[in-house]
Amino acid sequence: MLRNDADSWGAPSKLLHWVMAALIFAQIALGLAAVGWRLSPAKLDLFVWHKSIGMLILALLLMRLWWRLAGRVPALPSQMAPWERWGAQISHFLLYALMVALPLTGWVISSASNVPFRIFWAVALPAIMAPDKATADLFASVHGWLATLLAFALVAHVGGALRHHYIKHDAVLARMLPWRSR
Amino acid sequence: MKNIAFLALGLLLAMPTLGADWKMDPVGSKLEFVAVFEKTPTPGVFKEFDARLRFDPDKPAGSSLDVTVKVTSADMSIPDVNKEIRNKDWFDYAGFPQAEFRSTDLRRDGVRYVARGTLSLKGLKQTVEVPFTWTDSGSGALMEGELTLKRGDFGIGLGDWKSTDVIGAEVKLKFRVKLRKG
Repeated sequence: MLRNDADSWGAPSKLLHWVMAALIFAQIALGLAAVGWRLSPAKLDLFVWHKSIGMLILALLLMRLWWRLAGRVPALPSQMAPWERWGAQISHFLLYALMVALPLTGWVISSASNVPFRIFWAVALPAIMAPDKATADLFASVHGWLATLLAFALVAHVGGALRHHYIKHDAVLARMLPWRSR
Repeated sequence: MKNIAFLALGLLLAMPTLGADWKMDPVGSKLEFVAVFEKTPTPGVFKEFDARLRFDPDKPAGSSLDVTVKVTSADMSIPDVNKEIRNKDWFDYAGFPQAEFRSTDLRRDGVRYVARGTLSLKGLKQTVEVPFTWTDSGSGALMEGELTLKRGDFGIGLGDWKSTDVIGAEVKLKFRVKLRKG
């Protein structure tokens, strides 16, 4: 089953969700490691991995948004309270916004700092900003705050999913699992 | 008076066998280097350098080329990198602010010329060959060429940086020297 319907996610949505979930957790770890590492060849490699995976996440996100907007999204359980619906809407919107904003602010830092970069050592990433130290510093701190916000949004997302499953006993988590048909 | 005129004429005629003296015009001259950073060519420039040449393009034997480079004028237009290359692991500005090339012989090689000599950089001496083309423009001339050096031969990039996976072993040096007779 490829397409989403009223109460289940199709395979493309599940695949994108879980691949991106893995990449995003790896990405947070790589970003923290790259920033904290002492200056060495290893640090420069960590940054290449972090930037490359960031661009991969951005590309997958564009596919995901297209797939989501072109198809439909399974409905939330009817017994959910209005505040729960609002919470779900807001936290999902926030996740999507951060999945766009983090790669873009990272791209700005990379361009403004003028450090040469090829995605996975192969494809040169064009600059979206003229080299400027002040801009690079400003966006580096914005990027850091957005990443912190993402960490909170992920806690809410995972916590919400577990609450659906173990407390509310509905299908919201189960229907996203790859081995369940719904 | 007549004798002096003859003497002057005699000297002028004798001059070409010694080769003319040429001085560099800093405006219109450029000394660039291209390092490789994470498989991406990364250019830099030595803003201050000087070349002196005694040269007769028709009789290159007996010619000489002396170049001094103010290593501390290096600029890679990446603030973080500029801060780093001054350190002991890289150029060591404090210890070795200047590099020199002194030719030992100069020969023609087809349509171009080759100055062979000693390059002293960061306290290490290596024999290098500097190929160049010569374009005469009446009162002035243009010398252009490029050569490839191994940074390891000059101890540039010590410690972890000796590894050439992240910062490549080879550095291309490109020069364009505008000269006038002097």
